[in-house]
Amino acid sequence: MSKPNNDGYYQAYWPRGVRQQKTRALAPRLNSLEGKTVAQLWDYLFKGDEVFELLEEGLKKKYPGVKFVSWRDFGSTHGGDEKDALAALPKRFKELGVDAVISGMAC
Amino acid sequence: MLRASAACEAAGYPTSSLTCEGFFKQAAATSIGLGMRNIPLALVPGHIGNKSKDDLRRDILGVTMQAVVDNLTVATTAQADSSEPGARDIVVKGAFAEVNRYFYEHELADGLPIVPPTRDAIEEFLKFTDRQPDEMLGVLLPDRRAATVWNVAVNGVMAGCRPEYMPVLIALIEAMCDPKYGVEHSGNTPGGDTLIILNGPIIKELGFNYLQGALRDGFLPNTSVGRFWRLYLRNVAGFLLHKTDKATFGNTWRVVLAENEDVLKSIGWPTISADMGFKAGDNTVTISRYTGGGSLSSVTGSTPEEMLPYLADSLVKFNNWQITFTTSHGPGTLRPLAVITPIIAETIAKAGWKKSDVQKWLFEHARITAHDFERQLRDWNIRGVWDLKDDVTHGRIPKVFYESDDPNRLVPIVWKAEDFMIAVGGDPLRNNAYVFGHNGFLGFPTAKKIELPKEWERLLAAQAI
Repeated sequence: MSKPNNDGYYQAYWPRGVRQQKTRALAPRLNSLEGKTVAQLWDYLFKGDEVFELLEEGLKKKYPGVKFVSWRDFGSTHGGDEKDALAALPKRFKELGVDAVISGMAC
Repeated sequence: MLRASAACEAAGYPTSSLTCEGFFKQAAATSIGLGMRNIPLALVPGHIGNKSKDDLRRDILGVTMQAVVDNLTVATTAQADSSEPGARDIVVKGAFAEVNRYFYEHELADGLPIVPPTRDAIEEFLKFTDRQPDEMLGVLLPDRRAATVWNVAVNGVMAGCRPEYMPVLIALIEAMCDPKYGVEHSGNTPGGDTLIILNGPIIKELGFNYLQGALRDGFLPNTSVGRFWRLYLRNVAGFLLHKTDKATFGNTWRVVLAENEDVLKSIGWPTISADMGFKAGDNTVTISRYTGGGSLSSVTGSTPEEMLPYLADSLVKFNNWQITFTTSHGPGTLRPLAVITPIIAETIAKAGWKKSDVQKWLFEHARITAHDFERQLRDWNIRGVWDLKDDVTHGRIPKVFYESDDPNRLVPIVWKAEDFMIAVGGDPLRNNAYVFGHNGFLGFPTAKKIELPKEWERLLAAQAI
């Protein structure tokens, strides 16, 4: 004998919201790091200072003409004033002749 | 970090984002919400906090460096967009169990059964607002989805709320959307959870528990509204465990804390709502994220001076690493919360003390040595900035943090007395307290007024029948 079904019938709606941003393409990549200026951006977390020092050492060995702008020149990218700090970056990059960015640390 | 990378990519600068192994999935999911499907990541094997100098050198030069070069010089192909349902689409039809299976399998539920959000149920909620269903309340990261009156109602139904809670739910999402709160940080490592504090006549009108067991599940409004908050974080903001929500441990959602306004009125102390700038009698929600906390048993004494040292000591102990939000990381945003029971508040008030007097006393006494303060940030949390002298000298933090070179001088854990938040609730006749460790700017206290519909009283009366 089959059991009576008292589990109801429901038409349930999607609980999410529509995404508000179309995806964008990434910036064009460089041909090489040789002769380029790379900015270091740091959120002041997880030994980024030591990591940037190592990367700088290794990349300079591989690309003798590469230059770096230290994270000290930008301040933290993660904090109470994050929005203003990020908005100011493009202008600062232009002033410093930056070509590419290394950003850390997600841990 | 990834938000910085997205801003740089958008401005035309190629980036490489240094990402520890455990964060790869989160970074990939977050990238989509930032409008780029493939922000390039450079792997840092394992976790950086536990590497020796030699291991760090080996991994960065042997693994991470080549990934950085590839990130900056090799173009990658973005994956195609996946199609999603529309804002008002029915996504499943069937019995209770089928609906629940669908919602769970599609990561739309929290592991408990949900109430199926049907048209009739949603419309009952929409009756309790004068706003249009499609009105957008904001856009939420990491998914960058629209928060609307409609999807507030849908998630309210799912959480088991009653329709008349709708004005509270809308105010909560307005607070969640406020940039000051910082919802985008809700998936961070410490796994802090939001506490909702409710004020106003609506506490009694909707039957919120504000007495014994004020922070425990068991009362429909307190529990279901707390669950709604977490469901909305999941479904609309987009925080999913093992993806965008990287809480190391985390907690179940917190139930709503309703203040005991009768007691506050009788002793002449302001409510949390008044502290946040609202008028007495306003219905409000105040949200903030707390990394944890604990109960203080038997706060004994008959004067403030006898009782408050215990509270000060616990505020310091439950806000240990969180002092990173006092200096270093979002400086000045630490707002520890102490919830004290009515009998403690009444005993303090009997001595003629106002709430502001308690805050001043705590500011003077909830202190640690400068040595311990700096050690926490320098040696234990590996923060980038930890030198109090340097911070004060450069005007980044108040002078009180560096009044001498004595490493044993006592320094406060917050910038100013009113940074300590004090709420009154819980069992009226027990002399206990509960102290919360705060998450700083990663969930800063934010309050909103609850707007009631014009027909509130009539609608509420109809629900009671």
